[in-house]
Amino acid sequence: MNLAIETEKLTKSYGRKARGIEEVDLAVEEGEVFGFLGPNGAGKTTTVRTLLGFLRPTGGRGEVFGFDIRKDSVEVRARVGNLPGEFALEDKMTGEGLLRFFARLRGVKDLGYARELAERLGAELHRPMRRLSRGNKQKIGLVQAMFHRPPLLILDEPTGGLDPLVQEEFLDIIEEVKAEGRTVFFSSHNLAEVERVCDRVGIIRGGRLVAVETTETLIDKSFRHVVLTFAEDVDPRPFEALSGVKELRAGGNRLAFTLYDDLDEMVKLAARHELVNMEYERPSLEEVFLTYYERENGEAR
Amino acid sequence: MSTALEQGKRTTTAPRGTLFALVSHTARMQLRGVIIWGAALGLYSAAMVASFTAIEGSAQQLNQLMEAYPKGMLEAFGVTDLGDPANYLHSQFFGLAPLALSFFPILALANSIAGAEERGTIDVLLGNPLPRWQLVAGSFLATALSLLGICAIVGLITWGTATLVDVDLSLREITDGVLNLWPITAVFGSLALLCSSLFHRRALAISIPAFLLFGMYLIDAIGRASEDLEDWRPASAFYYYGSAIENGIDWAHFGSMTLIALALVLLAALAFRRRDIYT
Repeated sequence: MNLAIETEKLTKSYGRKARGIEEVDLAVEEGEVFGFLGPNGAGKTTTVRTLLGFLRPTGGRGEVFGFDIRKDSVEVRARVGNLPGEFALEDKMTGEGLLRFFARLRGVKDLGYARELAERLGAELHRPMRRLSRGNKQKIGLVQAMFHRPPLLILDEPTGGLDPLVQEEFLDIIEEVKAEGRTVFFSSHNLAEVERVCDRVGIIRGGRLVAVETTETLIDKSFRHVVLTFAEDVDPRPFEALSGVKELRAGGNRLAFTLYDDLDEMVKLAARHELVNMEYERPSLEEVFLTYYERENGEAR
Repeated sequence: MSTALEQGKRTTTAPRGTLFALVSHTARMQLRGVIIWGAALGLYSAAMVASFTAIEGSAQQLNQLMEAYPKGMLEAFGVTDLGDPANYLHSQFFGLAPLALSFFPILALANSIAGAEERGTIDVLLGNPLPRWQLVAGSFLATALSLLGICAIVGLITWGTATLVDVDLSLREITDGVLNLWPITAVFGSLALLCSSLFHRRALAISIPAFLLFGMYLIDAIGRASEDLEDWRPASAFYYYGSAIENGIDWAHFGSMTLIALALVLLAALAFRRRDIYT
Protein backbone atom coordinates (compact mmCIF):
# COMPACT_ATOMS: atom_id res chain seq x y z
CA MET A 1 0.00 0.00 0.00
CA ASN A 2 1.30 3.46 -0.91
CA LEU A 3 1.57 6.07 1.76
CA ALA A 4 -0.11 9.46 1.55
CA ILE A 5 1.75 10.79 4.59
CA GLU A 6 4.93 9.41 6.03
CA THR A 7 7.00 10.98 8.76
CA GLU A 8 10.10 9.70 10.48
CA LYS A 9 11.13 11.18 13.81
CA LEU A 10 9.50 14.45 12.76
CA THR A 11 10.34 17.06 15.37
CA LYS A 12 9.42 20.68 15.77
CA SER A 13 10.76 22.51 18.76
CA TYR A 14 9.76 26.04 19.69
CA GLY A 15 12.53 26.40 22.23
CA ARG A 16 11.62 26.91 25.85
CA LYS A 17 8.45 28.94 25.31
CA ALA A 18 6.15 26.18 24.03
CA ARG A 19 6.07 22.46 23.41
CA GLY A 20 6.13 21.29 19.82
CA ILE A 21 6.28 17.71 18.54
CA GLU A 22 8.95 15.11 19.17
CA GLU A 23 10.01 12.28 16.91
CA VAL A 24 6.58 11.68 15.40
CA ASP A 25 6.46 8.59 13.16
CA LEU A 26 3.30 8.62 11.08
CA ALA A 27 2.25 6.41 8.18
CA VAL A 28 -1.11 7.27 6.66
CA GLU A 29 -2.09 4.96 3.85
CA GLU A 30 -3.61 6.20 0.63
CA GLY A 31 -7.37 5.92 0.63
CA GLU A 32 -7.84 5.75 4.40
CA VAL A 33 -9.55 8.18 6.73
CA PHE A 34 -7.13 8.80 9.55
CA GLY A 35 -8.24 10.50 12.76
CA PHE A 36 -5.60 12.47 14.59
CA LEU A 37 -6.60 12.78 18.19
CA GLY A 38 -5.23 14.50 21.20
CA PRO A 39 -6.13 17.07 23.82
CA ASN A 40 -5.56 20.76 23.19
CA GLY A 41 -1.88 21.62 23.02
CA ALA A 42 -0.86 18.00 22.36
CA GLY A 43 0.75 18.86 19.02
CA LYS A 44 -1.98 18.14 16.43
CA THR A 45 -1.86 21.56 14.81
CA THR A 46 1.95 21.69 14.96
CA THR A 47 2.09 18.35 13.12
CA VAL A 48 -0.32 19.55 10.42
CA ARG A 49 1.42 22.91 10.00
CA THR A 50 4.80 21.19 9.76
CA LEU A 51 3.47 18.80 7.10
CA LEU A 52 2.25 21.77 5.07
CA GLY A 53 5.56 23.63 5.35
CA PHE A 54 4.22 26.47 7.51
CA LEU A 55 6.60 25.44 10.26
CA ARG A 56 10.17 24.31 9.61
CA PRO A 57 10.91 20.98 11.23
CA THR A 58 13.83 21.03 13.64
CA GLY A 59 14.45 17.32 13.16
CA GLY A 60 13.38 14.25 11.26
CA ARG A 61 11.73 14.13 7.87
CA GLY A 62 8.32 13.92 6.29
CA GLU A 63 6.79 13.16 2.91
CA VAL A 64 3.37 13.65 1.37
CA PHE A 65 2.81 11.41 -1.67
CA GLY A 66 6.59 11.05 -1.79
CA PHE A 67 7.25 14.79 -1.81
CA ASP A 68 9.56 16.13 0.87
CA ILE A 69 7.66 18.51 3.15
CA ARG A 70 10.70 20.74 3.49
CA LYS A 71 11.92 20.98 -0.10
CA ASP A 72 8.73 20.36 -2.07
CA SER A 73 6.21 22.26 0.02
CA VAL A 74 4.50 23.76 -3.04
CA GLU A 75 4.07 20.30 -4.61
CA VAL A 76 2.71 19.04 -1.30
CA ARG A 77 0.19 21.86 -1.08
CA ALA A 78 -0.84 21.30 -4.71
CA ARG A 79 -2.09 17.86 -3.60
CA VAL A 80 -3.65 18.85 -0.29
CA GLY A 81 -6.90 20.54 0.64
CA ASN A 82 -6.37 22.13 4.02
CA LEU A 83 -8.79 23.41 6.61
CA PRO A 84 -6.78 25.00 9.44
CA GLY A 85 -8.03 24.62 13.00
CA GLU A 86 -8.09 28.34 13.62
CA PHE A 87 -8.41 30.50 10.59
CA ALA A 88 -9.92 33.72 9.35
CA LEU A 89 -11.08 34.73 5.91
CA GLU A 90 -10.61 38.17 4.41
CA ASP A 91 -13.48 40.27 5.75
CA LYS A 92 -14.10 42.17 2.54
CA MET A 93 -14.37 39.08 0.35
CA THR A 94 -17.37 36.92 -0.37
CA GLY A 95 -17.12 33.15 -0.45
CA GLU A 96 -17.60 33.27 -4.22
CA GLY A 97 -14.71 35.75 -4.60
CA LEU A 98 -12.47 33.63 -2.38
CA LEU A 99 -13.23 30.46 -4.34
CA ARG A 100 -12.63 32.20 -7.67
CA PHE A 101 -9.27 33.45 -6.40
CA PHE A 102 -8.25 30.05 -5.05
CA ALA A 103 -9.44 28.38 -8.27
CA ARG A 104 -7.03 30.62 -10.19
CA LEU A 105 -4.21 29.77 -7.78
CA ARG A 106 -4.92 26.08 -8.32
CA GLY A 107 -5.61 26.23 -12.01
CA VAL A 108 -9.20 25.01 -11.51
CA LYS A 109 -11.47 26.11 -14.33
CA ASP A 110 -14.81 24.69 -13.22
CA LEU A 111 -16.41 25.77 -9.96
CA GLY A 112 -19.31 23.33 -10.34
CA TYR A 113 -18.14 21.04 -7.52
CA ALA A 114 -17.51 24.07 -5.29
CA ARG A 115 -21.09 25.22 -5.79
CA GLU A 116 -22.39 21.71 -5.18
CA LEU A 117 -20.45 21.50 -1.90
CA ALA A 118 -21.63 24.96 -0.88
CA GLU A 119 -25.24 23.98 -1.53
CA ARG A 120 -24.95 20.73 0.39
CA LEU A 121 -23.33 22.43 3.38
CA GLY A 122 -25.59 25.50 3.15
CA ALA A 123 -22.63 27.88 2.73
CA GLU A 124 -23.54 31.45 1.83
CA LEU A 125 -21.23 32.39 -1.00
CA HIS A 126 -22.53 35.85 -1.77
CA ARG A 127 -22.24 37.64 1.56
CA PRO A 128 -19.00 39.30 2.74
CA MET A 129 -17.14 37.24 5.34
CA ARG A 130 -17.53 39.94 7.97
CA ARG A 131 -21.28 39.33 7.92
CA LEU A 132 -21.03 35.57 8.33
CA SER A 133 -21.37 33.62 11.57
CA ARG A 134 -18.59 31.30 12.74
CA GLY A 135 -20.47 28.30 11.41
CA ASN A 136 -20.90 29.86 7.99
CA LYS A 137 -17.22 30.76 7.81
CA GLN A 138 -16.41 27.17 8.73
CA LYS A 139 -18.58 25.98 5.82
CA ILE A 140 -16.67 28.23 3.42
CA GLY A 141 -13.43 26.94 4.93
CA LEU A 142 -14.56 23.39 4.20
CA VAL A 143 -15.58 24.22 0.63
CA GLN A 144 -12.23 25.89 -0.11
CA ALA A 145 -10.42 22.83 1.24
CA MET A 146 -12.41 20.36 -0.86
CA PHE A 147 -13.53 22.11 -4.07
CA HIS A 148 -10.47 21.11 -6.11
CA ARG A 149 -10.86 17.40 -5.26
CA PRO A 150 -7.40 17.02 -3.72
CA PRO A 151 -5.95 13.51 -3.30
CA LEU A 152 -5.41 14.35 0.40
CA LEU A 153 -7.64 16.35 2.72
CA ILE A 154 -6.12 17.67 5.94
CA LEU A 155 -8.89 18.96 8.17
CA ASP A 156 -8.34 20.34 11.65
CA GLU A 157 -11.55 20.20 13.71
CA PRO A 158 -13.72 20.34 10.58
CA THR A 159 -17.11 20.24 12.29
CA GLY A 160 -16.45 22.92 14.91
CA GLY A 161 -19.27 25.45 14.81
CA LEU A 162 -21.46 23.38 12.45
CA ASP A 163 -25.00 22.43 13.40
CA PRO A 164 -25.81 18.68 13.64
CA LEU A 165 -27.50 18.49 10.24
CA VAL A 166 -24.53 20.05 8.49
CA GLN A 167 -22.15 17.83 10.46
CA GLU A 168 -24.09 14.87 9.13
CA GLU A 169 -23.83 16.16 5.55
CA PHE A 170 -20.12 16.77 6.02
CA LEU A 171 -19.59 13.19 7.20
CA ASP A 172 -21.49 11.96 4.13
CA ILE A 173 -19.10 13.98 1.98
CA ILE A 174 -16.11 12.44 3.78
CA GLU A 175 -17.51 8.97 3.07
CA GLU A 176 -17.83 9.91 -0.61
CA VAL A 177 -14.25 11.19 -0.61
CA LYS A 178 -13.14 7.88 0.88
CA ALA A 179 -15.17 5.95 -1.69
CA GLU A 180 -13.31 7.84 -4.43
CA GLY A 181 -10.06 6.48 -2.98
CA ARG A 182 -8.89 9.80 -1.64
CA THR A 183 -7.20 10.16 1.73
CA VAL A 184 -8.47 12.16 4.69
CA PHE A 185 -6.40 13.16 7.69
CA PHE A 186 -8.45 14.92 10.31
CA SER A 187 -8.43 15.90 13.92
CA SER A 188 -11.54 16.00 16.03
CA HIS A 189 -12.76 15.95 19.59
CA ASN A 190 -16.00 14.26 18.56
CA LEU A 191 -15.71 10.53 19.25
CA ALA A 192 -18.93 9.65 17.42
CA GLU A 193 -17.62 11.44 14.35
CA VAL A 194 -14.26 9.67 14.59
CA GLU A 195 -15.94 6.33 15.13
CA ARG A 196 -18.17 6.78 12.11
CA VAL A 197 -15.65 7.76 9.47
CA CYS A 198 -12.11 6.95 10.60
CA ASP A 199 -10.40 3.70 9.68
CA ARG A 200 -7.54 4.34 12.05
CA VAL A 201 -6.66 6.86 14.69
CA GLY A 202 -3.40 8.26 15.96
CA ILE A 203 -3.20 9.62 19.48
CA ILE A 204 -0.75 12.38 20.24
CA ARG A 205 0.13 13.41 23.75
CA GLY A 206 2.71 15.93 24.89
CA GLY A 207 4.01 16.21 21.34
CA ARG A 208 4.61 12.48 20.98
CA LEU A 209 2.56 10.01 18.99
CA VAL A 210 1.65 7.50 21.68
CA ALA A 211 -0.49 5.11 19.66
CA VAL A 212 -1.92 4.34 16.28
CA GLU A 213 -4.95 2.08 16.48
CA THR A 214 -7.86 1.02 14.38
CA THR A 215 -10.98 2.85 15.50
CA GLU A 216 -12.53 -0.35 16.91
CA THR A 217 -9.52 -0.90 19.13
CA LEU A 218 -9.70 2.61 20.47
CA ILE A 219 -13.39 2.26 21.32
CA ASP A 220 -12.82 -1.19 22.86
CA LYS A 221 -10.16 0.24 25.09
CA SER A 222 -12.61 2.73 26.48
CA PHE A 223 -15.08 2.18 29.31
CA ARG A 224 -18.79 2.75 29.88
CA HIS A 225 -20.73 4.61 32.52
CA VAL A 226 -23.39 2.24 33.90
CA VAL A 227 -26.39 3.04 36.08
CA LEU A 228 -28.59 0.12 37.19
CA THR A 229 -31.96 0.65 38.82
CA PHE A 230 -33.58 -2.38 40.48
CA ALA A 231 -37.10 -3.03 41.73
CA GLU A 232 -35.74 -3.32 45.30
CA ASP A 233 -32.53 -2.64 47.24
CA VAL A 234 -29.54 -4.78 46.24
CA ASP A 235 -26.26 -5.65 47.88
CA PRO A 236 -23.53 -3.71 46.03
CA ARG A 237 -20.65 -5.93 47.17
CA PRO A 238 -20.90 -8.62 44.42
CA PHE A 239 -20.78 -5.82 41.81
CA GLU A 240 -17.88 -4.15 43.55
CA ALA A 241 -16.04 -7.48 43.49
CA LEU A 242 -16.07 -7.59 39.68
CA SER A 243 -12.62 -6.66 38.39
CA GLY A 244 -13.95 -4.34 35.66
CA VAL A 245 -16.13 -2.28 38.00
CA LYS A 246 -14.64 0.91 39.39
CA GLU A 247 -15.94 3.95 41.29
CA LEU A 248 -19.12 2.26 42.41
CA ARG A 249 -21.73 4.43 44.11
CA ALA A 250 -24.65 2.63 45.75
CA GLY A 251 -27.89 4.19 46.93
CA GLY A 252 -30.77 1.84 47.83
CA ASN A 253 -32.05 0.27 44.63
CA ARG A 254 -29.62 2.19 42.41
CA LEU A 255 -26.03 1.37 41.52
CA ALA A 256 -23.78 3.62 39.46
CA PHE A 257 -20.27 2.62 38.39
CA THR A 258 -17.69 2.75 35.65
CA LEU A 259 -17.27 -0.50 33.72
CA TYR A 260 -13.91 -1.19 32.09
CA ASP A 261 -14.57 -4.81 31.07
CA ASP A 262 -16.45 -7.82 32.44
CA LEU A 263 -19.64 -6.73 30.69
CA ASP A 264 -20.92 -10.30 30.50
CA GLU A 265 -20.30 -10.94 34.21
CA MET A 266 -21.97 -7.67 35.16
CA VAL A 267 -25.08 -8.38 33.06
CA LYS A 268 -25.40 -11.90 34.49
CA LEU A 269 -25.07 -10.54 38.00
CA ALA A 270 -27.66 -7.83 37.37
CA ALA A 271 -30.05 -10.40 35.86
CA ARG A 272 -30.24 -12.16 39.21
CA HIS A 273 -32.34 -9.24 40.39
CA GLU A 274 -35.42 -7.55 38.96
CA LEU A 275 -33.93 -4.82 36.79
CA VAL A 276 -36.10 -1.73 36.18
CA ASN A 277 -33.71 0.35 34.11
CA MET A 278 -30.17 0.19 32.77
CA GLU A 279 -28.23 3.19 31.46
CA TYR A 280 -25.14 2.28 29.50
CA GLU A 281 -23.34 5.41 28.42
CA ARG A 282 -20.41 5.88 26.07
CA PRO A 283 -17.71 8.11 27.56
CA SER A 284 -16.56 11.38 26.04
CA LEU A 285 -13.41 11.32 23.95
CA GLU A 286 -11.64 13.24 26.68
CA GLU A 287 -12.46 10.45 29.13
CA VAL A 288 -11.18 7.86 26.65
CA PHE A 289 -7.94 9.80 26.41
CA LEU A 290 -7.59 9.89 30.17
CA THR A 291 -8.21 6.18 30.48
CA TYR A 292 -5.94 5.41 27.60
CA TYR A 293 -3.20 7.57 29.04
CA GLU A 294 -3.58 6.01 32.47
CA ARG A 295 -3.24 2.55 30.95
CA GLU A 296 -0.21 3.65 28.99
CA ASN A 297 1.36 5.03 32.14
CA GLY A 298 0.45 1.87 34.04
CA GLU A 299 2.01 -0.34 31.39
CA ALA A 300 5.07 1.86 31.27
CA ARG A 301 5.44 1.48 35.02
CA MET B 1 -8.68 3.51 -7.62
CA SER B 2 -9.46 5.84 -10.47
CA THR B 3 -6.83 6.77 -13.01
CA ALA B 4 -7.64 10.44 -12.55
CA LEU B 5 -6.88 10.19 -8.86
CA GLU B 6 -3.62 8.35 -9.49
CA GLN B 7 -2.66 11.06 -11.94
CA GLY B 8 -3.62 13.70 -9.37
CA LYS B 9 -1.32 12.23 -6.76
CA ARG B 10 1.67 11.60 -8.95
CA THR B 11 1.62 14.08 -11.78
CA THR B 12 -0.15 17.14 -10.44
CA THR B 13 2.26 20.02 -10.56
CA ALA B 14 1.91 23.34 -8.88
CA PRO B 15 0.02 25.51 -11.38
CA ARG B 16 1.69 28.32 -13.24
CA GLY B 17 0.29 31.81 -13.22
CA THR B 18 -0.07 31.94 -9.43
CA LEU B 19 1.97 35.15 -9.26
CA PHE B 20 -0.27 36.86 -11.79
CA ALA B 21 -3.39 35.61 -9.99
CA LEU B 22 -2.05 36.94 -6.67
CA VAL B 23 -1.04 40.32 -8.10
CA SER B 24 -4.36 40.89 -9.84
CA HIS B 25 -6.31 39.76 -6.74
CA THR B 26 -4.28 41.96 -4.38
CA ALA B 27 -4.50 44.96 -6.71
CA ARG B 28 -8.28 44.49 -6.91
CA MET B 29 -8.48 44.35 -3.11
CA GLN B 30 -6.51 47.59 -2.92
CA LEU B 31 -8.62 49.40 -5.53
CA ARG B 32 -10.85 51.16 -3.01
CA GLY B 33 -7.81 52.37 -1.10
CA VAL B 34 -6.23 53.60 -4.32
CA ILE B 35 -9.31 55.71 -5.10
CA ILE B 36 -9.53 57.11 -1.57
CA TRP B 37 -5.80 57.91 -1.31
CA GLY B 38 -5.71 59.29 -4.86
CA ALA B 39 -8.76 61.46 -4.31
CA ALA B 40 -7.58 62.73 -0.91
CA LEU B 41 -4.07 63.65 -2.05
CA GLY B 42 -5.35 64.84 -5.43
CA LEU B 43 -7.86 67.19 -3.82
CA TYR B 44 -5.19 68.57 -1.48
CA SER B 45 -2.92 69.13 -4.45
CA ALA B 46 -5.78 70.72 -6.39
CA ALA B 47 -6.45 73.06 -3.46
CA MET B 48 -2.78 74.12 -3.52
CA VAL B 49 -2.97 74.74 -7.27
CA ALA B 50 -6.14 76.76 -6.84
CA SER B 51 -4.59 78.72 -3.98
CA PHE B 52 -1.74 79.71 -6.28
CA THR B 53 -4.15 81.92 -8.24
CA ALA B 54 -4.79 83.89 -5.04
CA ILE B 55 -1.11 84.62 -4.38
CA GLU B 56 0.02 84.85 -8.00
CA GLY B 57 -0.57 88.62 -8.21
CA SER B 58 1.31 89.35 -5.01
CA ALA B 59 4.11 86.85 -5.53
CA GLN B 60 6.76 89.56 -5.70
CA GLN B 61 5.75 91.00 -2.33
CA LEU B 62 5.56 87.52 -0.87
CA ASN B 63 9.04 86.70 -2.10
CA GLN B 64 10.30 89.94 -0.52
CA LEU B 65 8.56 88.94 2.68
CA MET B 66 10.16 85.49 2.47
CA GLU B 67 13.59 87.11 2.28
CA ALA B 68 13.05 88.18 5.88
CA TYR B 69 12.84 84.50 6.87
CA PRO B 70 16.06 82.61 7.64
CA LYS B 71 17.48 81.28 4.40
CA GLY B 72 17.96 77.84 5.90
CA MET B 73 14.31 77.58 6.78
CA LEU B 74 13.25 78.39 3.23
CA GLU B 75 15.71 75.85 1.90
CA ALA B 76 14.41 73.29 4.33
CA PHE B 77 10.97 73.63 2.80
CA GLY B 78 12.24 73.97 -0.77
CA VAL B 79 10.93 77.53 -1.23
CA THR B 80 12.86 79.48 -3.87
CA ASP B 81 10.30 81.49 -5.84
CA LEU B 82 6.64 81.60 -4.85
CA GLY B 83 5.81 83.25 -8.17
CA ASP B 84 6.73 80.02 -9.94
CA PRO B 85 3.77 77.61 -9.82
CA ALA B 86 6.07 74.58 -10.00
CA ASN B 87 8.13 75.75 -7.01
CA TYR B 88 4.98 76.75 -5.16
CA LEU B 89 3.44 73.31 -5.69
CA HIS B 90 6.68 71.59 -4.69
CA SER B 91 6.93 73.57 -1.46
CA GLN B 92 3.25 73.16 -0.63
CA PHE B 93 2.59 69.63 -1.82
CA PHE B 94 5.25 67.53 -3.52
CA GLY B 95 7.90 68.21 -0.88
CA LEU B 96 5.65 66.78 1.83
CA ALA B 97 3.59 64.26 -0.16
CA PRO B 98 5.99 61.29 0.39
CA LEU B 99 5.42 61.65 4.14
CA ALA B 100 1.73 60.92 3.66
CA LEU B 101 1.74 58.68 0.60
CA SER B 102 4.40 56.33 2.03
CA PHE B 103 1.81 55.15 4.52
CA PHE B 104 -0.19 53.52 1.73
CA PRO B 105 2.53 50.96 0.86
CA ILE B 106 3.70 50.74 4.49
CA LEU B 107 0.23 49.75 5.68
CA ALA B 108 -0.49 47.51 2.68
CA LEU B 109 2.79 45.61 2.87
CA ALA B 110 2.85 45.35 6.66
CA ASN B 111 -0.57 43.74 6.25
CA SER B 112 0.45 41.32 3.55
CA ILE B 113 2.46 38.98 5.80
CA ALA B 114 2.57 40.07 9.45
CA GLY B 115 -0.99 41.42 9.24
CA ALA B 116 -2.22 38.22 7.59
CA GLU B 117 -0.54 36.22 10.36
CA GLU B 118 -2.19 38.35 13.04
CA ARG B 119 -5.60 38.13 11.36
CA GLY B 120 -5.19 34.37 10.87
CA THR B 121 -5.76 34.49 7.10
CA ILE B 122 -2.31 33.35 6.02
CA ASP B 123 -2.79 29.59 6.59
CA VAL B 124 -5.79 29.51 4.26
CA LEU B 125 -3.96 31.51 1.59
CA LEU B 126 -0.73 29.50 1.79
CA GLY B 127 -2.73 26.29 1.90
CA ASN B 128 -2.71 26.85 -1.86
CA PRO B 129 0.33 25.93 -3.97
CA LEU B 130 1.73 29.43 -3.71
CA PRO B 131 5.50 29.70 -3.15
CA ARG B 132 6.39 31.99 -0.29
CA TRP B 133 8.55 34.20 -2.47
CA GLN B 134 5.54 34.84 -4.67
CA LEU B 135 3.55 36.10 -1.70
CA VAL B 136 6.35 38.60 -1.03
CA ALA B 137 6.93 39.58 -4.67
CA GLY B 138 3.22 39.56 -5.54
CA SER B 139 2.31 41.80 -2.62
CA PHE B 140 5.04 44.24 -3.62
CA LEU B 141 4.09 44.23 -7.31
CA ALA B 142 0.41 44.78 -6.56
CA THR B 143 1.18 47.62 -4.17
CA ALA B 144 3.65 49.14 -6.64
CA LEU B 145 0.87 49.12 -9.27
CA SER B 146 -1.59 50.60 -6.80
CA LEU B 147 0.93 53.35 -6.02
CA LEU B 148 1.13 54.14 -9.72
CA GLY B 149 -2.67 54.30 -9.75
CA ILE B 150 -2.67 56.77 -6.86
CA CYS B 151 0.00 58.86 -8.60
CA ALA B 152 -2.08 58.84 -11.79
CA ILE B 153 -5.21 60.02 -9.94
CA VAL B 154 -3.26 62.76 -8.12
CA GLY B 155 -1.68 63.83 -11.41
CA LEU B 156 -4.98 63.95 -13.26
CA ILE B 157 -6.74 65.94 -10.54
CA THR B 158 -3.78 68.34 -10.28
CA TRP B 159 -3.52 68.81 -14.03
CA GLY B 160 -7.29 69.17 -14.41
CA THR B 161 -7.36 71.85 -11.72
CA ALA B 162 -4.36 73.68 -13.18
CA THR B 163 -6.05 73.71 -16.59
CA LEU B 164 -9.35 74.82 -15.08
CA VAL B 165 -7.95 77.72 -13.06
CA ASP B 166 -5.39 78.58 -15.72
CA VAL B 167 -2.21 77.98 -13.73
CA ASP B 168 0.86 77.54 -15.87
CA LEU B 169 1.72 73.92 -15.11
CA SER B 170 2.30 71.54 -17.98
CA LEU B 171 1.19 67.92 -18.04
CA ARG B 172 4.87 66.96 -18.30
CA GLU B 173 5.80 68.86 -15.14
CA ILE B 174 2.94 67.33 -13.22
CA THR B 175 3.69 63.84 -14.55
CA ASP B 176 7.31 64.21 -13.44
CA GLY B 177 6.17 65.41 -10.03
CA VAL B 178 3.75 62.54 -9.36
CA LEU B 179 5.88 59.84 -10.95
CA ASN B 180 8.81 60.87 -8.77
CA LEU B 181 6.69 59.99 -5.73
CA TRP B 182 6.75 56.34 -6.74
CA PRO B 183 10.32 55.19 -5.96
CA ILE B 184 10.66 56.92 -2.60
CA THR B 185 7.32 55.61 -1.36
CA ALA B 186 8.11 52.16 -2.79
CA VAL B 187 11.35 52.13 -0.75
CA PHE B 188 9.50 52.69 2.52
CA GLY B 189 6.86 50.16 1.47
CA SER B 190 9.47 47.52 0.73
CA LEU B 191 11.11 48.26 4.09
CA ALA B 192 7.73 47.54 5.71
CA LEU B 193 7.61 44.30 3.71
CA LEU B 194 11.05 43.32 4.98
CA CYS B 195 10.02 44.06 8.57
CA SER B 196 6.78 42.13 7.99
CA SER B 197 8.83 39.18 6.76
CA LEU B 198 11.28 39.35 9.62
CA PHE B 199 9.21 40.09 12.69
CA HIS B 200 5.67 38.79 12.06
CA ARG B 201 4.42 41.75 14.08
CA ARG B 202 2.35 44.27 12.14
CA ALA B 203 3.03 47.06 14.64
CA LEU B 204 6.79 46.70 14.10
CA ALA B 205 6.38 46.46 10.34
CA ILE B 206 4.60 49.83 10.42
CA SER B 207 6.52 51.67 13.11
CA ILE B 208 10.08 50.94 11.92
CA PRO B 209 9.61 52.33 8.36
CA ALA B 210 7.44 55.17 9.71
CA PHE B 211 10.20 56.14 12.15
CA LEU B 212 12.80 56.01 9.35
CA LEU B 213 10.49 57.97 7.03
CA PHE B 214 10.17 60.90 9.43
CA GLY B 215 13.80 60.58 10.53
CA MET B 216 15.06 60.76 6.96
CA TYR B 217 12.77 63.68 6.18
CA LEU B 218 14.14 65.58 9.16
CA ILE B 219 17.76 64.72 8.30
CA ASP B 220 17.25 66.04 4.77
CA ALA B 221 15.27 69.13 5.80
CA ILE B 222 17.67 70.08 8.61
CA GLY B 223 20.67 69.18 6.43
CA ARG B 224 19.47 71.70 3.87
CA ALA B 225 19.13 74.34 6.56
CA SER B 226 22.30 73.60 8.51
CA GLU B 227 25.80 73.22 7.11
CA ASP B 228 26.76 71.08 10.12
CA LEU B 229 24.29 68.39 9.11
CA GLU B 230 24.65 68.71 5.35
CA ASP B 231 27.00 65.73 5.17
CA TRP B 232 24.25 63.55 6.58
CA ARG B 233 21.83 64.29 3.77
CA PRO B 234 22.98 61.45 1.44
CA ALA B 235 21.87 59.04 4.15
CA SER B 236 18.30 60.20 3.61
CA ALA B 237 16.02 58.92 0.83
CA PHE B 238 14.67 62.47 0.54
CA TYR B 239 18.10 63.66 -0.64
CA TYR B 240 17.57 61.65 -3.84
CA TYR B 241 13.95 62.71 -4.16
CA GLY B 242 14.65 66.29 -5.21
CA SER B 243 12.01 68.39 -6.97
CA ALA B 244 10.98 66.67 -10.18
CA ILE B 245 8.14 69.11 -10.91
CA GLU B 246 10.77 71.85 -11.25
CA ASN B 247 13.82 70.01 -12.51
CA GLY B 248 12.40 66.93 -14.16
CA ILE B 249 13.05 63.38 -12.97
CA ASP B 250 16.62 62.51 -12.08
CA TRP B 251 16.61 59.07 -13.65
CA ALA B 252 19.81 57.99 -11.92
CA HIS B 253 18.22 58.67 -8.55
CA PHE B 254 14.92 57.20 -9.72
CA GLY B 255 16.68 54.01 -10.80
CA SER B 256 18.81 53.81 -7.63
CA MET B 257 15.76 54.14 -5.39
CA THR B 258 13.93 51.51 -7.42
CA LEU B 259 16.91 49.16 -7.07
CA ILE B 260 16.99 49.73 -3.31
CA ALA B 261 13.28 48.91 -3.14
CA LEU B 262 13.84 45.72 -5.16
CA ALA B 263 16.81 44.75 -2.99
CA LEU B 264 14.64 45.12 0.12
CA VAL B 265 11.98 42.94 -1.53
CA LEU B 266 14.61 40.31 -2.27
CA LEU B 267 15.78 40.38 1.34
CA ALA B 268 12.15 40.11 2.45
CA ALA B 269 11.66 37.03 0.24
CA LEU B 270 14.81 35.41 1.66
CA ALA B 271 13.80 36.21 5.24
CA PHE B 272 10.26 34.90 4.79
CA ARG B 273 11.45 31.74 3.08
CA ARG B 274 13.41 30.69 6.14
CA ARG B 275 11.06 31.42 8.98
CA ASP B 276 8.04 29.78 10.58
CA ILE B 277 4.62 31.18 9.82
CA TYR B 278 2.78 32.20 12.96
CA THR B 279 -0.93 32.47 13.55
